[in-house]
Amino acid sequence: MFKIITAAGKELLLLKRDRAGLLVLFLMPALLVIVITLVQENVMELTGQKNTQLLLLDLDGGALGRSLRERLMTEHIEIVVWDKQFKKSIDVQTAVAGGEYQVGLIIPPGSSESIREITEQLFQKGNQQGKGQSRARLSMDVFYDPGIMPGLRSGLNAQLQMALEGIAMGDKIEILDKKLNNIIAHLGLPQDSLPVAGLSELIGQPLFVLEENNGDLGATESPPYNPVQQNVPAWALFGMFFTGIPLAGVILQERKSGIWIRLASLPISHLILFLGKVVTFVGVCLCQFLLVGLIGTFLFPYIGLPAFSVSLNPGAVFLIVLLSSLASCGFGIFLGMACSTYEQASTLGYTAVVASAALGGVMVPVYAMPQVMQQVAVLSPLNWGLTAFIDILVRGSSLSVIWDDLGRLALFFILTILLAWKLVRARR
Amino acid sequence: MKACNTLVQPQKQDDALVATSLVMRYRNSAVPALNDFSLQVGKGEFFGLLGANGAGKTTAVSVFSGFLSPDSGSVSVMGMDFGRSVNTIRQILGLVPQDIALYDQLTAQENLLFFGRLYGFSGKKLQDRVDQCLDFARLTEQATRRVYTYSGGMKRRLNLATGLIHLPQILFLDEPTVGIDTQSRHLIHKQLKDLNQKGTTILYTTHYMEEAQELCSRIGIIDAGKIIEQGTPDGLLAQSGCRNLENLFLHLTGKQLRDT
Repeated sequence: MFKIITAAGKELLLLKRDRAGLLVLFLMPALLVIVITLVQENVMELTGQKNTQLLLLDLDGGALGRSLRERLMTEHIEIVVWDKQFKKSIDVQTAVAGGEYQVGLIIPPGSSESIREITEQLFQKGNQQGKGQSRARLSMDVFYDPGIMPGLRSGLNAQLQMALEGIAMGDKIEILDKKLNNIIAHLGLPQDSLPVAGLSELIGQPLFVLEENNGDLGATESPPYNPVQQNVPAWALFGMFFTGIPLAGVILQERKSGIWIRLASLPISHLILFLGKVVTFVGVCLCQFLLVGLIGTFLFPYIGLPAFSVSLNPGAVFLIVLLSSLASCGFGIFLGMACSTYEQASTLGYTAVVASAALGGVMVPVYAMPQVMQQVAVLSPLNWGLTAFIDILVRGSSLSVIWDDLGRLALFFILTILLAWKLVRARR
Repeated sequence: MKACNTLVQPQKQDDALVATSLVMRYRNSAVPALNDFSLQVGKGEFFGLLGANGAGKTTAVSVFSGFLSPDSGSVSVMGMDFGRSVNTIRQILGLVPQDIALYDQLTAQENLLFFGRLYGFSGKKLQDRVDQCLDFARLTEQATRRVYTYSGGMKRRLNLATGLIHLPQILFLDEPTVGIDTQSRHLIHKQLKDLNQKGTTILYTTHYMEEAQELCSRIGIIDAGKIIEQGTPDGLLAQSGCRNLENLFLHLTGKQLRDT
């Protein structure tokens, strides 16, 4: 233990004196998490994870527009109404096509009156004769931002369609209500012989309720999804795995100088020396995560982003960070032993980390990848770490859910260290 | 070239190093770096291993210190072999590699403390050894300066002192005076002679003939991975009729360039 501490102390001293290297190690993940999260704010708008802005130009100015606004006024849709005195249809189209709004809707002049007339016509005597022929419909222009995802576009379209159908249904029931009351009066029946009173409310009463239920999967209450809960651990992981490259550099520097021969002549195993490096660089990784976490918690709210939170299960988060750090150090030590030059190690290391991050879901979520790539993704250590983080921080799962990912990270560390040690012995 | 009898006597109690029929071939190399290499160095001896570049000196030292394993043959240090007593051998063996084996960003004191601790020293004993090594290298005044600020001679002296931090019984020095000024070389020679007189066995590789003649009680000439001649400097000169070791060396190894 004394020798591991000695080796760790020496590494710490060397790191402390390499201020430029240290700055890069901490600056890189910090910058990445800020930039990527800010960039993804826009992605969230395009995927509907943020409030969608609907631009409404009500050229009618009647009951239809008011009713439509009431029905669309949910927590996910923000309606921006343009004044018909100053704006035209083409302005709406241009604003939406330019990405300023996700959807634009134009209510043509006289729409409220038209829809009334069309509904009245439906209940006119003898209208069945025209069955099969096209009936009058009210046409409205709707525009979508070409940049939004197809899923969001379909969802918005369905929501608009439902709101308009709801208005139409209300109008139909109102007229039907009147007609039935007239028939009852005409036949001389008592007013309560048919349940026509409040017919509109009765028919509009929803009979189904969709309740979101996570079941009994060990999930606790988790905060609503936001990119910060995913980006902070994802880019911290990315930075942590990059720590493996300077670690490989330290080993290669020793191997290329007389130090390696001197170390080999000491009465201690290389495993001890490796563990000394691991202790120091795990410390670096923990500090990296802490820094990125603090940025997420305290800086993000100041730049208009949601705050990062680990309050759900800090113990599990620490365990993931620790095992990811160990995996990163194992990777670095193996890289340092497998490569012959620092150029080789840095090229191979950067490529491996970026590829592993891409595969692991740091850049694009795994579920958005092609099927084959989703299967390959499970080979990425960054995927194991990120999946565990998402399970804990986004899904609110308990520690028992992430044991397999933690096990993979631990196994990766043990395997890479043993391989590196094997290489030390093979090189003799 | 003169052939040499490389037969080694059975190991005696007073042998510090015995290498028997070592063969060592690097991957992708057509010729072996050590080829039936045998050597016996007695306790307290100052043995010089002389050879041209690529003759196999560094490979031999690497095998003697357990850094490389030979393809065949055996090595014993103070009567012990690496297979059974590796840690005991490493505790009594000192190695000064040809390349500077120091951390540039650490000070001389920090380098010595680090290697001293890895040898198991601590507390006052460690501090005493560090002070003695700094004094040995005449670097006490510069002990807190980082190594990268040192001159070549200072680095060489510290490199040597670091190999002595654990008071080894046998010391392998691989060309320890390459590329340094006369003053530093002179100091290193003086300190090594003192060390040898106090009982440390020294195996010293060099291609400086005058250095070998000045320091060594016995020398071995290595060529193409094999000892081709060994004996005391005076004895070899008398036996060959050569005026100095350089002539003897050229006589034995030839004048052909040894580009490997």
